[in-house]
Amino acid sequence: MKKAIILFLLLSFGLSQSKVSIQDKEIEINENEAVMEVLGMVCSMCAFGIGEGFSKTDFIDKSKFSDGVSVDIDAQYVQLGLLESANINPEKIVQVIQDAGYDVSLLFILQNDKLTKFGTDKLGILQPIAFNLTSDRSN
Amino acid sequence: MFRIFFTLIIIFSSVSAHPVIFKNGKVFWITQNPSFNDIRFGISKTSNWLIGGRILQDRKTDETFALMNNNYLVKRWNNKNSQANIYLLSSVGLNTENSESMATVGIHGDWENRQFMVMEMLEYYSYNNAWVSNTRVAYSPFKVDYSKTSAWFIAHYRVEYHNDSYSYMFFPVIRLFKKNYLFELGSNGKNSFLSFMTHF
Repeated sequence: MKKAIILFLLLSFGLSQSKVSIQDKEIEINENEAVMEVLGMVCSMCAFGIGEGFSKTDFIDKSKFSDGVSVDIDAQYVQLGLLESANINPEKIVQVIQDAGYDVSLLFILQNDKLTKFGTDKLGILQPIAFNLTSDRSN
Repeated sequence: MFRIFFTLIIIFSSVSAHPVIFKNGKVFWITQNPSFNDIRFGISKTSNWLIGGRILQDRKTDETFALMNNNYLVKRWNNKNSQANIYLLSSVGLNTENSESMATVGIHGDWENRQFMVMEMLEYYSYNNAWVSNTRVAYSPFKVDYSKTSAWFIAHYRVEYHNDSYSYMFFPVIRLFKKNYLFELGSNGKNSFLSFMTHF
């Protein structure tokens, strides 16, 4: 019983914080966060539009990062703080990026101790990618 | 008053950043180049269509035009660490003194990554039957983060075709931008070039 509790605690801890890889850079992702690779984001004026877009949504936790959004132009990724209570629709996240004029090629969401990975297919449609929570934690 | 406003604030070209911005984003843009003073305000209704107003003043003839401006992103290629675009540009309106109609049409293509940029813009102006080509090659020696000021060095080549004759101008231009503010200054000794743009 004691071992089972320890195992449960270890797994819980592991799943509330994980690492994902975008363009060979390892990024730490915590519970209620999303990380995505954004294609075409080459300047700070581009990134400004992304921040503006997410500021008008109802699922961003503005207490994290800079008003809920962190942009890394070098590694071409955007990290979001998500409200715990929000029902996150990955398509809504991608729509904000597309409205800013860019494309998402990979999206990771860690919520409810579950890390989910999405990719866009050749038609640009978002698809979930099979992702083993325990063995792929450092994807 | 209008002229003082231009003289004090402007000096540049309309060739500085993307003609369409993020959905529902607004852009305010002042430019002055050897041919025109140009003030624009626009709203991107979608991520590929911007509509707005424009006041254009011909610095040689002193004619002023009030125009409605329409920019359309035909195609964007978003790639890892780079982006390329093709835009169609148009303006229609009136000469503010004699109410004669005026229109401009143009095409704009660009490619950029974090350190290099090339751009070509070709425009036609109906009131004087002129064609203007702006070509740019730019280099930024420093890759900087979102919150820092980015500096670009630009070679800007301008060709005007009007009354069966060509005029050519070359400007070295420096571009500085930080977050949603962009400023450009250029001069070749005879002519100068200034631009300020903000998104909000």
